[in-house]
Order: sequence, then structure tokens, then C-alpha cells
Amino acid sequence: MAIIFKAVNYTYQPNTPFEQQALSDVSVEIPSGSYTALIGHTGSGKSTFLQHLNGLLRPTSGEIQIGKQVINAETKNKQLGELRKHVGVVFQFPEAQLFEETVIKDIAFAPKNFGKTEEEAEVIARRMAHQVGLDDDLLVKSPFELSGGQMRRVAIAGILAMEPEVLVLDEPTAGLDPKGRLEMMRMFKRLKDEQNLTVILVTHQMDDVANYADNVIVLEEGKMIANGTPSEIFSQPDWLVAHHLALPKAGEFTLELEQKTGIKFSTLPLTEFSLAQKIASLLHGGDVNHG
Amino acid sequence: MGKILLGRYVPGDSVVHHMDSRAKLILSFFFIIIIFLANNWQSYVLLFILTIGSIMAAKVNFGFFIKGVRPLIWLILFTVLLQVFFSSGGTVFWKWGPFNLSYYGLINGAYVFCRFVLIIFMSTLLTLTTAPLEIADALEKLMMPLKKIKVPVYEISLMLSIALRFVPTLMDETAKIMNAQRSRGVNFGEGSIMQQIKSVIPLLVPLFVSSFNRAEELATAMEARGYRGGEGRTKYRVHYWHTGDTVGCVIFVAVMIILLFVRHW
Repeated sequence: MAIIFKAVNYTYQPNTPFEQQALSDVSVEIPSGSYTALIGHTGSGKSTFLQHLNGLLRPTSGEIQIGKQVINAETKNKQLGELRKHVGVVFQFPEAQLFEETVIKDIAFAPKNFGKTEEEAEVIARRMAHQVGLDDDLLVKSPFELSGGQMRRVAIAGILAMEPEVLVLDEPTAGLDPKGRLEMMRMFKRLKDEQNLTVILVTHQMDDVANYADNVIVLEEGKMIANGTPSEIFSQPDWLVAHHLALPKAGEFTLELEQKTGIKFSTLPLTEFSLAQKIASLLHGGDVNHG
Repeated sequence: MGKILLGRYVPGDSVVHHMDSRAKLILSFFFIIIIFLANNWQSYVLLFILTIGSIMAAKVNFGFFIKGVRPLIWLILFTVLLQVFFSSGGTVFWKWGPFNLSYYGLINGAYVFCRFVLIIFMSTLLTLTTAPLEIADALEKLMMPLKKIKVPVYEISLMLSIALRFVPTLMDETAKIMNAQRSRGVNFGEGSIMQQIKSVIPLLVPLFVSSFNRAEELATAMEARGYRGGEGRTKYRVHYWHTGDTVGCVIFVAVMIILLFVRHW
């Protein structure tokens, strides 16, 4: 489902001493089936932005079109249930949302809420538990007996069980070990490719942006300051520094290499893979201008 | 949740903000007591002058106070209507079964309304101008005499300051879990009473679990930093009684004395 923001403003606690404008005049289109990364400094409005995606917040002005549904300041709560079925949101530290007696019940909770029968929900729950790599013997345990990483998987499976068309991920790998992080990110990529999901990822990991995203939105103080492909966004290192962002590691390494050796690459490689390719072709004498 | 102003602190720079928190706490209690001495319109005018004077001294926008009353308006109206329809005495204007509309009823209703508004204004002023931890500190100081009768004052004040500190954290946590469960298809505050009660479970269970975890982590962190109980600790925040505090107390006592003169006996 394509998501279109049209001049969206959002103000927290309007008309009080705590009034705070979190989004100002955000207009952006997230194409259907894209893998969009949302980046920005802490407090730039990323979380506010993603709470608009399934109607937890409604814009104070402007409107959002998600699939066929339009959300504006007047949209009623009743109309949002249908939308939430299609947009699954994995919040930061989603293990805090677990509450059922067993893992399988917790995963089946959302599909049941959205009208599946007990049996259907359990079938989906089992399938999703496998998707996220949970063993069968864990399914009958209490979610509170599991390790932090396993709880995270259960929580994510609980969202995937809604079978959403749009998957919103708010720092899904924060606090995980490197192996868990890699597995998780690969799983999202695989799900996206298999089921043609639209994925929106909020992250501070520029490597994840470079490795997985095909579209990047940059927020600063509630305003959208850039929107483009990762190679467009990462093409101006000075601009990134000015906005408290950074290059992916491969990019930084390349800049340093260019400085030290005087070699100029034609384009800045953003992933380790493309960097390795460039260096390999460099060794074979191609794709570089000796400066 | 975000609409309730009562109990929130807005940093500022005014006479009232700089007052000793003990003084503010005592004066607020004192004020609530003297409100019940007022029993005619002159005395209420006097108290309103005092309240509005204090608000002006605190340089807080008056509109915030009006908004502070708004969430409680139904409670106030309910109490006022009870007073109006069930008090008897004076000229009776209208009567129907147990209900009657009398002169005294109307007067009493108006007084109850004034009392509510005054109490809410003053306590909003206290919390708007005093940081929660300062209030906890002041309470500890004021409870010190109770140590003589074996009240665990340190422990109570420690629990109080931890509780106050975690109110906003727990509110955030609640909002976060609510959002997460809403995204999973829970409709809070909709449907029949049974459904509404059921919908609270996915909110309460995680909240309790996270509170337990938080308590355990906090206790460990406190022990690791050498906390061994309240006895024999020194204080980081020290209270100073200024002239302003004495002036405040004198004004309030003066108002009470005038009040004693203008009230009916």
C-alpha cells in the first residue's frame, strides 16, 4: 500500500504550556512495496511520524492517504480499526507488549482481535513462530520465561500474525546482540521480498539503511529535510555532518582511503559488498581515476 | 492524560517559584483549612483575591488554571447539584418529591462551587510552581517530628520520591503499551463493560511485569551505589527559609484573621 502524507502537521497538547509541534508541513510519498528508512536525530519526530501510519495519532492539519483510506483531523476512531489490520507496527522494545499465558496465545492475540477464529489464529501463530525462528517447545511456555531476544521474536511474530501489508519497524534490533541483529534484519528483508510488503524502518544504524533500504526520509525538528535513495542521501558527507547524521562504515572507510591514497572512486560505495567489488576492480585496473 | 494540569510542574522564575517548598506546602494545607471557615460572600471574595494574587505573583498564565478545572467539572457540578436540590431552608422556589430548590440550597451550591475552584486553583498553583521532588523533600522535613513516635519517615519519603519520580515514566510506559496493543487490534474504552474490563488486561499485565522488573533493577542499582537505609545520610538539596517565605506566611495569617472578622458566626 502506498502512503502519501499531504502537508501534515502535528502538535502535542495544543493550547497548554506543554504545547509542542512535532511535525510541521510534512509532505512525502512512500511507494507501495518500497523499503523506506526513516532517519534523523533523536527528537526529530520519527516516532510521531510512525504513529500516524496506523492512526494512533491523527494529524492536527493536513491529511494522510494509506491505500484507499484517508486520515485527517476529523477521522473517527471507528474507521481506524480496518486500517490497523493492514499496517503492523513493531514498536521499540516490543517485548514490553507481551501479556498472555503462553507464547502461542500471545502471537494469536492480534489475528483474533481482527476477526480470525481461535483455530485460524493458532495456525497463523504457529507459522509466524517458525518464520521468526522460535522452536516448537517454546510455544507452550510463558512469554516471561524467555530470554530477551526470544521475547523480541515473540513480539515481532505477534505483529506479523496480523499479516499486514505495511510493516513499520521502530528500531527493531536495538539492544540485540550482533548475531540476533543480523538474523532479524535478514528476516525482514526476506519477508518483504516474499510477501511484497511495504517496510518502513526507523533506525540509527546507517549500515542497515545502506544495506536494505531503497528509499530514505530524513527528518529534522519535525520537518522533512530530504527524501531520496540511499546513494542520493549519502552523496554529500558535509551535509550529513551538518544534520547530525553519518555515513555507513563502508562510505567512511572509502573517504579515508581516498584521502590517504589519492585514489578517487567514481561513486561512493555504501555497503561492504560494493566496496569490496570496487577494490577488486581497482586491483584489476578499472573504475578509478588516478588523482 | 496530557490534558490534566493538576500535578504537573512548569519551571519558571517568580517569587512563588523561589519560595521554600516547605512554606508552600504548609500554606496550601493552611489555605484548604481556612476555606472551610468562609461562609459568606465577603469571605469568598477575600479568598479569591488571595488566590488570584498568589497566581499573579507566580506569573503563570491564568488560562491554565481554568483548563485545570475543566477535567473535574463533572465532579464539581454533581456535588453542586446535590447541594442545590437536597438542601432545605429559606424560601422554597420549587418542590418535587425529595427534590426541592430553595434559597439556601442555591447559596450552598454556589459556596461548594467556590470551594472546589479555590482548592483546585491553589493546589494547581502548588504543583505548577514546585518540582515533585521538592514536595517530597518538604514532606520529609515536615514529617520529621513523627520520628519520635516510630514512624519510618526516611522510608516513607524515599518511597514517595521514587514514586513521584516514576509517575511520568510509568505514564509514558502506559501510553506506549496502549499504543502497541491498539496496533494489535485492542479497542480501549469501547464496547460493553465486560469487553472494556477485558481490554484492560493486555495493558495491566505488561505494566505490572515491567514495574516488577524496574523495581528489581532499581534496588540493585541503589545497593551497588552504597544505599544501606535512610539513617545517617546527608542531604544534597538543602532548604533555605527566606524573607519571602515569612512574608507569605504573614499574608496568609493576616487573611485568616480578616476572614474571622468577616464571616458569620
